[in-house]
Amino acid sequence: MADKIKLGKETFLSIAKASGLDTEDPHIEELYAYAQNVFPSFKVSEEFDLTDVEPMMMFIPSKE
Amino acid sequence: MDFADLCYLSAGQLSRLIKNREVSPVEVIKAHLARIDALESTLNSFITLLPDQAMEDARKAEQEIQIGRYRGPLHGIPFGLKDLFYVKGIRNTSGSKIFDNYLPNFDSTIASKLKEAGAILLGKLNLHQFAYGATGENPDYGHMHNPWNPACITGGSSGGSASAAGSGQCTLTAGTDTGGSIRIPSALCGLAGLKPTYGRLSRYGITVLSWSQDHPGPMARTVEDCALAMNAVAGYDPNDPTSANVSVPDYTKTLTGNIKSLRVGVAKEFFEDSIDPQVEEAVRKAIELLSELGANVHEVSWPMYHRSQAISSTILMAEATTYHKKLIQKHGFQLDSAVRLRLEAGFFVSGVDYIQAQRGRTLFYRQSRDLLKQVDILAGPTVPIAACKIGTTEVRLGNTAMGVIPALTQYTRPFNLNGFPAITVPCGFSKDGLPIGLQLAGKPFDEETLLRVAHVYEQATEWHKRRPPISK
Repeated sequence: MADKIKLGKETFLSIAKASGLDTEDPHIEELYAYAQNVFPSFKVSEEFDLTDVEPMMMFIPSKE
Repeated sequence: MDFADLCYLSAGQLSRLIKNREVSPVEVIKAHLARIDALESTLNSFITLLPDQAMEDARKAEQEIQIGRYRGPLHGIPFGLKDLFYVKGIRNTSGSKIFDNYLPNFDSTIASKLKEAGAILLGKLNLHQFAYGATGENPDYGHMHNPWNPACITGGSSGGSASAAGSGQCTLTAGTDTGGSIRIPSALCGLAGLKPTYGRLSRYGITVLSWSQDHPGPMARTVEDCALAMNAVAGYDPNDPTSANVSVPDYTKTLTGNIKSLRVGVAKEFFEDSIDPQVEEAVRKAIELLSELGANVHEVSWPMYHRSQAISSTILMAEATTYHKKLIQKHGFQLDSAVRLRLEAGFFVSGVDYIQAQRGRTLFYRQSRDLLKQVDILAGPTVPIAACKIGTTEVRLGNTAMGVIPALTQYTRPFNLNGFPAITVPCGFSKDGLPIGLQLAGKPFDEETLLRVAHVYEQATEWHKRRPPISK
């Protein structure tokens, strides 16, 4: 499933701009190719049944 | 004893000589500085050398020992720190010229503990920029070179730590491991390298890559030396919010030489991955030897293993980009181009992706915990290849072409995701004379068992006694 998810150019540019990256820099094309390549892997957890599974986040209240 | 021999003694051997005043810390440090002088132009292990400070510390150690103030087994032992462990007043570059003049005003907990134990800091060691890469290539401070063949990578990100310990420039070094950065260079440079349980060693004063996956740990030429280092540095630290308040054993006492009836699991998934046949053969032989030494070896299944790398990577990318956000925005053009791409790509991990990955992590943790109820440890390869040439971007494993970083990290990342301890020990050499590593992983906070098994294996073999050609 994750392999079918794609990062479109418009979405890419919009996120890049909102993230403070210079979208006029020629380097942005290289980043687009790279981001397209790794983007599906960000969705890999969607392959699992995560019903009732809590995220493994760490929050330890101080004893002070 | 000549200088070269002194540089190839383990911390355990050196400490006995120092304690008995057969060798002085001054002689030890002089020998190591001479060795660094001879090899550094080839290996490029260090970013900052501290010869004057080291000699001053050696004289102080010598005086202390002479008046009976022996601090313990690390007193007078030379060590190096990856250049992301803060040391007060000594520049900390994190492998980037952007921080060429950055002087921390406090010690990392690990630096502080090693100094307290009397170990002598020789310098700050080269690394993959911001610890964000597995090859040990660094355009700012120069690439690290493998002592077994300087044309080859050390592995990374703690590449300078590996080349320094592997070549006898340092007796002990410390690295950090977020996706394999202790174990990969240790395996490729013929060392023992331990990534302890998450929370076992303090992360305080260490440049962050991924808050939830960074693990500091020791790298050395012997398992006993890793145990000695663990005795000095393990333990709760209130300065690290994720530090675990769990009692710390004497790790050297665990090196009993007995692994009878120990249950060793070999995940079938390890050998479904692409792997160099030479590495597979060496690792399978090592596992057979564990069986001959009394362990019960079983095949086990770890279904989420193949997906754990992508889950780990998603968390890493989001956390690394968040930590370095301002740097990326202001200094992106000054970064190593590959590191820059990885850092910028982290902006495309959404909040939902990150939380889903942390939920996937919970599932993976549960599966790992259940797996380690069936067995005491897992055994498998550390890295699927021996060291490749510097500049390699893709490796071929059978019919599969893989990016060098996914290949290098495929066996190590799962233990950053679940936080379980893992160690690598040398288990053979490729036909080109390059080291191969066996990875052992255990239950949370059970570094004792890992060290015990690794030590038994090490003592039953001769791999750790080989010296790289550069040492001759």
